[in-house]
Amino acid sequence: MKTKFSDQQLSTILDQSLIYQCACPAQVAKHLIELRDLYAFQQSCLNQTETDTAVHQRIASSAEGAHDTLEECLEAVLMLENWDMKTLRMPSTLQKTLRAI
Amino acid sequence: MQSESAMYRTPRIRVVVCDGNDYTRALLLERIAGIAGCMPETHASMASVNPHGFGASDSILVLNHQAHQPEPFALILEVKQYAPDTPVIIITSPAAPLRSMKAFQASSRSVDRIFSKPLDLDEFASDLAARVSQLDAQRTLNDDHLNLLRFLPTGALRRIFANPAAGNAELFEMTVMFTDIRDSSRLIMQQSARTYFAGLNAILAAQARHIRIHDGMVIKTTGDGLLAVFEGAARCHLALKCAAAIQKASLIGGIALGIGLSDGPVLTGILGSTEHLHFDVIGSHVHLAARLCGSALPGEILATAEMANRARIDVGLRTMQESIQVRGFDAPVPCIHIQPSVQEPS
Repeated sequence: MKTKFSDQQLSTILDQSLIYQCACPAQVAKHLIELRDLYAFQQSCLNQTETDTAVHQRIASSAEGAHDTLEECLEAVLMLENWDMKTLRMPSTLQKTLRAI
Repeated sequence: MQSESAMYRTPRIRVVVCDGNDYTRALLLERIAGIAGCMPETHASMASVNPHGFGASDSILVLNHQAHQPEPFALILEVKQYAPDTPVIIITSPAAPLRSMKAFQASSRSVDRIFSKPLDLDEFASDLAARVSQLDAQRTLNDDHLNLLRFLPTGALRRIFANPAAGNAELFEMTVMFTDIRDSSRLIMQQSARTYFAGLNAILAAQARHIRIHDGMVIKTTGDGLLAVFEGAARCHLALKCAAAIQKASLIGGIALGIGLSDGPVLTGILGSTEHLHFDVIGSHVHLAARLCGSALPGEILATAEMANRARIDVGLRTMQESIQVRGFDAPVPCIHIQPSVQEPS
């Protein structure tokens, strides 16, 4: 599976936003991680019959396609929101306004 | 929705939040500060969290683990080793960090809950509120238990409690102590009943602490005072020392007490029926100690001479011997008036 963002980078995006309410890129990052898990799982499955092989290949192929699409989406969203693409820092303008505590 | 009592209860559960990201730490703090009963405390680094600062049922550790940080296993293990009841909540990224944390959770049983990012803040807050509430209840139970301990039997007296049936009684050699606040009628008239009750409770609680410290046992409260017993070879010594400590503390607090002490065989046991059972002590020495307490001057300890001699204690107390005719006793009882000085002997 080809990737544009490493697992570490996806985790960094998730770390930046923490919560669902202010974290659209984080939601995409989360699904990318899950798709990577799904792909890896299918790759590691034991093939006992020809049908099994076809099933795992089909799922892995779809997971890869979905992953490519979502990864392009993530890149586009990060640029739209003006994230720093090198450090993957969330722009302060996106941060939720906090009440004085 | 929180009940009114929950909303206004005094915060007493410390929630230690460790998060290296200023923004997400502020997000967590904002939400945690809204949970009733919480005292949030934030740390930007694991290094600043004192793992020995967690007490029994008083704290929760919330750790938002960042992907670039070292894994927090050592800190968690140290916290759990020092305070095993401390709930540990971890927030971590999916995939490898989550798998690693779950493996640690399974092997060490030191993590109570793992949340994966992005975090559902409502679910997190709900879980934390439940844990705060549970700890708060546990802490109340612990406090009640400590209060109860002041009334629990010591030494050989435990035998009585091993068979808590009405009529179960045994004879023990004991030192009996009565305390009583002098001029309490005037104190009641000077303040509201509620204020007096609160003050009385504080005074009796302080006395009970002294009794417990000196290995004694409170049998019951007697309106404005206490009945306590001491057992064992050093009972006279401990009882007199305890009485002196109570008198000194009371004099400093501006409260005048009388204390009576007697030593000898006392029947101890369970009185009552199945509807109402209570532990009590009976005998001539209980009667004598009560009478001596009634006769003691404000600030004075009135003890039988025999008991005072057995105490073998010299803590700078001013004493005076006298034989006192006590109601119910044929002959005058040799006694010693003891007035502890507030200052410790040099």
